[in-house]
Amino acid sequence: MGSELPSPVLELTGVRAGYGRIQVLHGVDLIVPRGTIVGLLGPNGAGKSTTIGVISGQVPTSTGAVTMLGHDVTGAGADALARAGVCTIPEGRGMFPNLTVDENVWMFTHRGVSTREARDIAYDHFPVLAERRSMMAGRLSGGEQQMLALARALATRPSLLLLDELSMGLAPIIVEQLYEQVAAVTAGGVGILLVEQFAGHVLDVADQVAVMVNGRIRAAGRPHEMAEALSGVYLGG
Amino acid sequence: MSNPTDPSADVADDRLTGFEAELARLRVSGTSSTTEQRLLVAGIVLMPVGLVLVLIGWFGASGTTEFSSQVPYLISGGLLGLGCTIVGAVLYLRHSLARYLRFWLLRVVYEERTSSDRNVEALHELGQILRNRAPTDPSAVPPREKETQP
Repeated sequence: MGSELPSPVLELTGVRAGYGRIQVLHGVDLIVPRGTIVGLLGPNGAGKSTTIGVISGQVPTSTGAVTMLGHDVTGAGADALARAGVCTIPEGRGMFPNLTVDENVWMFTHRGVSTREARDIAYDHFPVLAERRSMMAGRLSGGEQQMLALARALATRPSLLLLDELSMGLAPIIVEQLYEQVAAVTAGGVGILLVEQFAGHVLDVADQVAVMVNGRIRAAGRPHEMAEALSGVYLGG
Repeated sequence: MSNPTDPSADVADDRLTGFEAELARLRVSGTSSTTEQRLLVAGIVLMPVGLVLVLIGWFGASGTTEFSSQVPYLISGGLLGLGCTIVGAVLYLRHSLARYLRFWLLRVVYEERTSSDRNVEALHELGQILRNRAPTDPSAVPPREKETQP
């Protein structure tokens, strides 16, 4: 990745990790500069979600280093990282379906943001949620649920945002709306790592793209440079 | 990308400065799963070691009838051994219980989520059926029968 970019919010160096005896990541190097969106693409089972798990402190590393703004945070707990400003939207949205929209936003005030402020931020980004604030989150449509997941994340005023399969199961128009909000967040200096299986929207919104295959970064660069690497990965070319 | 001439750059700097301060305060002490695993193994090792110490103490003390000679065996064998066994048992129980409870909690969360999904799906289906029936099928609402006196 280019040297003209600002110093990184996140840097992975030679990260190896897995589950028990199964090694999933085999030496991953990845940089997320501040105020940029980095797309991490790759087929199912490539290790993308495990990478998110490692960064957010949920999956321990066996070797390698995770640094944020130059601080080594390898082995830091998920709770400590979340309090520091690392926010993850997991695959499947990670909402509380039996709580209302308001209550779901309220659950994300762990960083000292007041409930009122959190709701203001969330509903400013997605006004449609304000209309459904008393509705159970489980009764929202798929797109609204993903809006809620993103709104909650933004309400924490994160410094590093990790998005796992944001577009999964959603209509293209909804995905476009969500990515518009994601792109707007980087103006606040937030670094965003966007993990997706399907490249379409990511190539439009990301500043940098990395392609992961079998737990290794096979190629990295600007989106327009990645066409060949992506066709190789997805089409076996 | 953030632009240095942009007013939002100040906000960005504030946010990143705060983030950096939080990161500097982070206590990174290795992975918790490794620490937990080590303490569990320590518990498993300490329990038999304590019992062996008690046995050594008993054999030593039983070899003499003089009380002053039995005291060192009592202290180093009996009390130390008992201490090791208790500490080992506590460590073992604490960490094996934590593992079990964590698994149980995850299981409950998973079951709860699956159940909620099923209920929501059923409600959607029910709503869909009612919506489809209401305008097109007037017989959907059965006519009230005349109440007849027995």
